[in-house]
Formats: sequence, structure tokens, C-alpha cells
Amino acid sequence: MDTAGDVIPAEHDAVAATRPRPTLAAGTGGFRPFSRGIGLRLLTLIILFSSLVTLLSTLSQLYIDYHRDVSDIERRLEEIERTNLDSLASSLWHVDTDQLRVQLDGLLRLPDVEMLEVRETVGSVANPLVVTVGGSHGTSVIERTYPIIYDDRGTPRPIGMLHVSATLEGVYRRLLERGVVILVTQGVKTFLVSLFILYIVHRLVTRHLVAIAEFLGEFTLHAGEALVLRRRRPPARDELDQMVDAFNDMRGNLARAYHDLREANRALVRDNEARRRAEEEVTRLNAVLEQRVRQRTAELEAANAELSSFAYSVSHDLRAPLRRIEGFGQMLQEGYVEIIDDKGRHYIERIRAGTREMAEMIDSFLKLSRSTRGELTVEPLDLSAMAADAVAKLREKDPDRSVGATIAPAVTVEGDRKLMAVVLSNLLENAWKYTRRADAAAIAFGVESRAGRPVYFVRDNGAGFDMAFVDRLFIPFHRLHKAEDFEGIGIGLATVQRIIARHGGRVWAEGEPGQGATFYFTCWEGREPGEQPNDPAGRG
Amino acid sequence: MSSQTILLVEDNPDDVELTLLAFRRSRMANEILVAWNGEEALDYLFATGQYVSRDVNDPPALVLLDLKLPGLGGLDVLRRIREHPVTRRVPVVILTTSDDEQDIVNGYNLGVNSYIRKPVDFSSFVGVVDQLGLYWLVVNTRSPV
Repeated sequence: MDTAGDVIPAEHDAVAATRPRPTLAAGTGGFRPFSRGIGLRLLTLIILFSSLVTLLSTLSQLYIDYHRDVSDIERRLEEIERTNLDSLASSLWHVDTDQLRVQLDGLLRLPDVEMLEVRETVGSVANPLVVTVGGSHGTSVIERTYPIIYDDRGTPRPIGMLHVSATLEGVYRRLLERGVVILVTQGVKTFLVSLFILYIVHRLVTRHLVAIAEFLGEFTLHAGEALVLRRRRPPARDELDQMVDAFNDMRGNLARAYHDLREANRALVRDNEARRRAEEEVTRLNAVLEQRVRQRTAELEAANAELSSFAYSVSHDLRAPLRRIEGFGQMLQEGYVEIIDDKGRHYIERIRAGTREMAEMIDSFLKLSRSTRGELTVEPLDLSAMAADAVAKLREKDPDRSVGATIAPAVTVEGDRKLMAVVLSNLLENAWKYTRRADAAAIAFGVESRAGRPVYFVRDNGAGFDMAFVDRLFIPFHRLHKAEDFEGIGIGLATVQRIIARHGGRVWAEGEPGQGATFYFTCWEGREPGEQPNDPAGRG
Repeated sequence: MSSQTILLVEDNPDDVELTLLAFRRSRMANEILVAWNGEEALDYLFATGQYVSRDVNDPPALVLLDLKLPGLGGLDVLRRIREHPVTRRVPVVILTTSDDEQDIVNGYNLGVNSYIRKPVDFSSFVGVVDQLGLYWLVVNTRSPV
């Protein structure tokens, strides 16, 4: 019963917990003390506990009563022994059976006594006298056996035994009646007290809880009213007051928090709006920029196409008349030897030399123009191997010279193979050429690190140059040396500069007259180290 | 015995004269026929127009082709030559002043046999003409049909 009483509320709690909160607070029908609320559980627990206490107290009461009744019976039996044994002994001595029976019948009328028996115990008598009244019915009995002693002129003589049997059934019946009365009265009292407690709890606590629950159920932050319990003010603040105050405080805090939250939200919305506008502006500017880039690209492409057709024109149309001048000049020189004097032949020779030089310039100019056209095919290049190739070609072309060449191993770069080969061969050819008059000609190719970036260089110990004129080095057809000293038309370095520019790099030179020169170049300067390069010019 | 004629397609009279001079200086004694533009060259090759009486099945031994021609260009002429069954196997050498990469690539794509850039120096040009004549007309074996 106790276990069951514990289990039921627990189950009830579990059910309540899974139920949506408003159902619990939806006491729209008012308070029902016997609904599955605190009241019912309280009532159950009070009745259980009270019943248990009543039961225990009743049992102890009955126990005490039982002992008292049993002592009463025992006392009565002792009374029989004390007051009746003598007269019984006299009757037995005189073998007065009738008298004995009368006496025993009288004793049998005593409460709870159910059987008496007198038995003669004189040993020599074969058929002893036995007088019995009443009869034994149950097992719950108290039995006593007393010796009957006859005082024969001062000599006590045991002549028989008195056997008395008293039943406890009367005791039990009385106990049962008493128990029932106690239980019923206690039960009624307990129930009434429980109901009263229930009513008090409802008045003082439960109805306010329901009111609070209803208030909370309809509570919104915007509703202005604070929670007030409708009840008579207790003399001192109680737990409900504390709860109401705590709730009203919380209500204020919630309102403030909500207000703050709304402010923050508004700020966020404003931020977002500003960001959105900024993004739109960026998008618009990007579009404008893209439009401009497209326009510039188109212009560049048009200019490039024009340049290409111009270069083609130079290649074909400018060269053709030169060929004719040269060809007919030779015809004149060879076929009219007798008619033209030496001076005339000299002029013809100068004309032919001029045309040849111009043809060479046109070819160089075309080479320069081509270095800035066409797609770049960027791939990893072994510059060391390419430099070694270039030097080998120079040695082949000019086997009489002895030039010491130092090429750093494993120098690599990402670039266009053909164009980078032109860069290396032009720079190395320069170095080769301008060391012609050096005592121990030495040229070197290598790489050094400046600000974490590789800087490639070609160095020689040749004629060098005056740094005052360094800017002119890379201008097409500009030369710092006299043609008599070093041949060439001044297009190699300009070509190198164009190619390096297409590889996103710079080229510059350092030198001193008679002390040699060093040409440096870089690639992909706009990129992070290690980033994959792509063709910056696309269609150059 | 098939034709030993060389067809020279060239529009500039000066260049024609220089080329003829160069041939005269070389060891070649072949007849040289000059077509002054692309249309005339095709008339000759396919026996049409002024050359209608020519035997169409007697193509020239060698065609020397300039690229920059008025009207029909040198590469167009080349394409037509390669398309026609009779002239498909005729050796064609582009002889031009241009060394434009695109011209060279297009020429070979259309099936030219050789691409020669005329040097400015006349002596060199004579050497080139001598070599190409010797090679294509003597050393090289022509297709029988």
C-alpha cells in the first residue's frame, strides 16, 4: 500500500511533465480539489499516513486490552482456587457428588469459565470419582489444575485434582468489537481532518498557484499589469509573496532584456542595410570596372591587330623593294663594269650595303614585335639547362674564343619556353660579345634572393657601361658602344625587356666602364611566392 | 616526257625580272612561264581562259608561288591546286619575302612542298634559286601521274 502510494504521484509527475504547459494552467473551470492535482495526492498521502498511525495505535491499544482481559481471567481462576477449594475438598471427602456438582455449576457461571472437573486421586481406588461440568469447545483456552487437599484434623491429605478451563473467545470477541469501533471512528476523523487540510491548502496555496499559472499562460511582455494575488494579506510576507515578487522582478528583467534585444536587432538591421548598400555599390563599381576593362581590352586587341598587320606589312612590303634595289644594284655592278668608273662602283656598293643593313634592321624589328605577340605557354622551365644550351651555341659559333662560363645549377622559373630562351640567349650573347676584349673573359648565370623573391642575373667582366646611360640600354636601336667596337643594332635588350614584362617581371642593369655588367631580371612580381602564374597579357 | 615548264606566279615585274635573272645565272635551262596573278595561274593549270587550248593533263614541273598577290591570294591558289586531281601532286614552292609564322603554318597546312624566304642579298638569292631548281627538277623524283 505504501509502495503504491509512492508510485502513483511519481507516475503523475511524469505524465504532467510531458504534457504541454498551458493544459496544466488552463484551470478555466476553476479549482477541482479531486482532480489529478496536488489536492488528490495530498489527500491520498494524509489518509495513508493517518491510517497507518491509527492502525498502529489501535493495535497497541488492543494488545494492552488483551493482556488485561487475560489477567482478569487468571485472577478469577486464582480466586476459585483460594475460595472454593476447601468446600470442594470437604464435598469430595464425603463423596457428596451432588454437592460437588452444585458447587461446580456455580463456578461454571463465572465469566469465560467453560469447563470444571474434579477427579479423585486416592491411589487404591480402582474406579476414582470424576465430576465434570461444561465442555471444552475451542483451542484458545487457559487451563489450570489445582490439588484438592483435605485437612483431616490437622493432617493435610491430597485427595484429588480440580481442573479448570477458561475460554479466550470472549476476549477475542470483545477485542474485535473494540477494534472495529476504534478503526471506524479514527477513519472518519482522519477523512474529515484530511478534507479540512485539503480545503486549507486550496485556500492558501493551490488556488493561487492556479491563478499564477493562468496569469503565466496569458502572459506577454507587452501586457502592462503586474501579477497580484487576490487574497487577504497574511500578517507577514510568505512564500507566495516571495514568488510573486520574484516573478514581477523577472517580468521587469525580461522586458528590459527584450527591449535591449530589440534595440540590438534594429542596429543589426541597420548594419545589414548599410552592408547591402555597400555591396551594391561594390557590384556597381565592379560592373563599371569590368566594362572599362572590356573596353580597354577591345582597344588593346584592336591595337595589337593593327600592330600585327603593320608588322606583316613591314616584313613583306618593306623588304620587297629593298631586294629589288639590292638585286639591280648587283646587276649594275657586275654587268656594267666597263661603263661605270671606280667612284660609281663605290656608290653602288654603298647603296647595296645600306639596303642590307636596312634588311637586317627590319628583321630585328620583326623579332622584337613577335616577342610581344602570341599566347604565352607557361610551363616550369629549367633555366640552368637553357642557359647551358645558349652558351654551347655561342661556343659553336665562335670556337676561337675562350670564355669561362659559370652556370648555377637547378635554377627554375615558370615561363614560356621559346621567349625565355630568347631572353637567355640575348643576355648571354651580349655578355659573350662585350667580353671580347677582356683578358680572362668570364660570364655567369645565376639567381639570388632579394626580399624573398628570386632575382636572376647574367654577369660578365667585359666592357661594361656608364650608369648615366643605363636608361638607354633598353630602347630599341639605341647603342652605348660604337659600331666599330661591337657590332649589333641595339634590339636585343629591348626584346628582353618586352619578354620579361610579359612574364610579370622587371629587367635592369648595373655596370661600370671596363668593369663588366650585370643584367638582372625577375618574373611574376605581382604574385605571392608559390602562386601559379598565368599569362598576364593573354593575347599580347 | 612530261612538261619541264616552271610556273612562276608573281605580280611584281621587278621581282619577275630578278627571279628570271637568277634562273639565268643558275644551271637551270627550263622554260619559265610567268603568271601575273592568281587567276592567270589557275587558268594555266586548269587550261581555262587564255590557256583553254592547253592540255590540262600536262601540269608544270614546278610551281613557284608568291603569297601577296592582287585578287586571289597565293594561299588560295595553293588550295585550288591541291584540290584538283591533276595538279594535286605538282611540287609547289612558296617563294616570298614574308616570314610571318602564320603564313608558313598555313602554307604547310595546305600542302606546300617547300617554303623559301627570298633573301635580300642577290647573290644569296641566286644560290637559293640554283639549289631549289636542282633539287626539285633534278634530284627529286616526280610523281608519275
